[in-house]
Amino acid sequence: MRGRLCARFQQLYDGAYGMSEFIAQIVVNGILSGMVYVLMALGFTLIFGIMRIVNFAHGELYMIGASVVLVLYGMNGVNYFVAVALAALLTAGIGALIEIGLFRRFVKTELNGMIMSLGIAIFLQAIALIVLGPAWQAVERPITGTWQFGGIVVPFDRLFVGACALVIIIAFYVFLKCTRLGLAMQTVAQDSETAALMGVGVSHVSALAFAIAAGLAAVAGGLMAPIYSVAPYMGELPMLKAFVVVVLGGLGSIPGAVAGGLIIGLVESGFASVFNNTAALIASFAIVLVIVLVRPSGLFGKVI
Amino acid sequence: MRARVVALAVLAVLAAVPIWVGDRYLAHIAVMVCLMGMLALSLNMMLRIGQLSLAQVVFMATGSYGSALMSMAWGLPPAASIVLAGIASGILALMLGPLLLRIRGVYFVLLTFSLAQIVNLILQDMTGVTGGNGGLFGIPRLEILGIRLARPETFYPYALALLVLSFAGAMALYRSRAGAVMQSIEQNEDLSRSLGVNVLAWRVGIFGLSGLLAGIAGASYAHFIGFISPASFTFAISVNILVINVIGGVASPLGPLIGAVLLVPLPEILRDAQQYQLLVYGLLLIGFLAFFPRGITGFLFSRSPDANQERRDT
Repeated sequence: MRGRLCARFQQLYDGAYGMSEFIAQIVVNGILSGMVYVLMALGFTLIFGIMRIVNFAHGELYMIGASVVLVLYGMNGVNYFVAVALAALLTAGIGALIEIGLFRRFVKTELNGMIMSLGIAIFLQAIALIVLGPAWQAVERPITGTWQFGGIVVPFDRLFVGACALVIIIAFYVFLKCTRLGLAMQTVAQDSETAALMGVGVSHVSALAFAIAAGLAAVAGGLMAPIYSVAPYMGELPMLKAFVVVVLGGLGSIPGAVAGGLIIGLVESGFASVFNNTAALIASFAIVLVIVLVRPSGLFGKVI
Repeated sequence: MRARVVALAVLAVLAAVPIWVGDRYLAHIAVMVCLMGMLALSLNMMLRIGQLSLAQVVFMATGSYGSALMSMAWGLPPAASIVLAGIASGILALMLGPLLLRIRGVYFVLLTFSLAQIVNLILQDMTGVTGGNGGLFGIPRLEILGIRLARPETFYPYALALLVLSFAGAMALYRSRAGAVMQSIEQNEDLSRSLGVNVLAWRVGIFGLSGLLAGIAGASYAHFIGFISPASFTFAISVNILVINVIGGVASPLGPLIGAVLLVPLPEILRDAQQYQLLVYGLLLIGFLAFFPRGITGFLFSRSPDANQERRDT
């Protein structure tokens, strides 16, 4: 590790670009990928907050979003933005059905709910394998070109994804803080029994929360489909990332998901630039290990 | 009780079939059933104390790599290296236990999940020792009493003996005073503590035992297949042994065995259609959780006591 690090820095000083550009590039990359992690993590943490279920099927919802974009935009020439919106709506519908049909009976029984989510993940992957086949399929990029600023290079499509994610995160936050439904959702997350006593329709709120979470994951998948390719297994890595982010920020905490997503994005981007992607993954899981052992409630969660 | 005897008899007959038939392919499947059954039993011990561990695959991996490396680098006979690697895996579990087992519920699952991910990534990254993603080739075959267990037909009796031994051990443990303590820990931790049970020490002890079991299964796997790579020790193994437990039923040690017999041959039967194998897995898991959350053994065995209960009540 040490030798590799020295070699890497040596390379930096010999190279055409300097230390400050190197760090700026790491920060930009980190924030851009962090935004996508936030999109995934928001839904993941919302589901945990409302239903106390760790949703191992979250990556598959991301995969469904990307697959719908592949079929509509990549294969049938539907407008990209329309395709992403349809993917989000369709996946939200699937999410609501999953919640009503399968998850509802496991509210507050954490372990069985988690095992159920594993079953759903396996099932959805199998469906995608049967429909799409196992190969990685490329989706044509709707936006091309790069933006160069000083020594930093930013592809336009990554910038676009980051901007979209930012808009959606802000919209979600406004929804949660300023609408009746959003407030109802927060009360259910805090104490579902009291919320029910106050007249909140807990079951409706749960189904809606699951639908929103699924929709967010699908948007993330749809936005990333042209950047990476689409395959039935594509959801596994984003699920792991969302998982790491949410544990870091605190399971069930919305601000935690945002902060955690950006922190993980930056840490990963740093490790990936200096070492390699495997080291970056090891680092992020090491963070989870330390957080769960030292402060299970995460950075922003309620202390249990 | 009768249902248990019938189930055991059916399992015993099934266990004898590969020996009679002597078919290489059938024996291969049978060996995998035995090894996965052991891993499922090791998870069953953890589930019994209310801790869903996704780290059993870690001990399987340490057993596998440990035994493979000891026999390859130091030239130890596999029969010795399997035992040593199994014990080492158990000791590793005992060392990790006090740290991990203070955590309960969802957080324990997250913790063990992350640990398994890290170990798999390290196996991929430490190319010098583990061969990275390329894995380790040419792991020596197991030899017992001068008989070389190179073929599945000859390996199967060994694997079956291991499984029977593990099952008998688990059965004895669950039926003993220790089993009663385990049950009390699972059902009411505070009450157990108030009765003077050192809950953490018990958990660590069970974790160590489950690590030993998983380590021996993993080590045997290495010498059976002759090749190991990080791809053999992924989250999929954790999911498989969990599905086996859910479908077989956690409450009886027969559950993991029945689950393994039903589920392990599935990939072989659906070999040409992997996607349908995944589909069946997912549907079984969802169906059992929704309709038979106590699994096959829960469904088969608990009917009679319930009926008695009803008779007494009316």
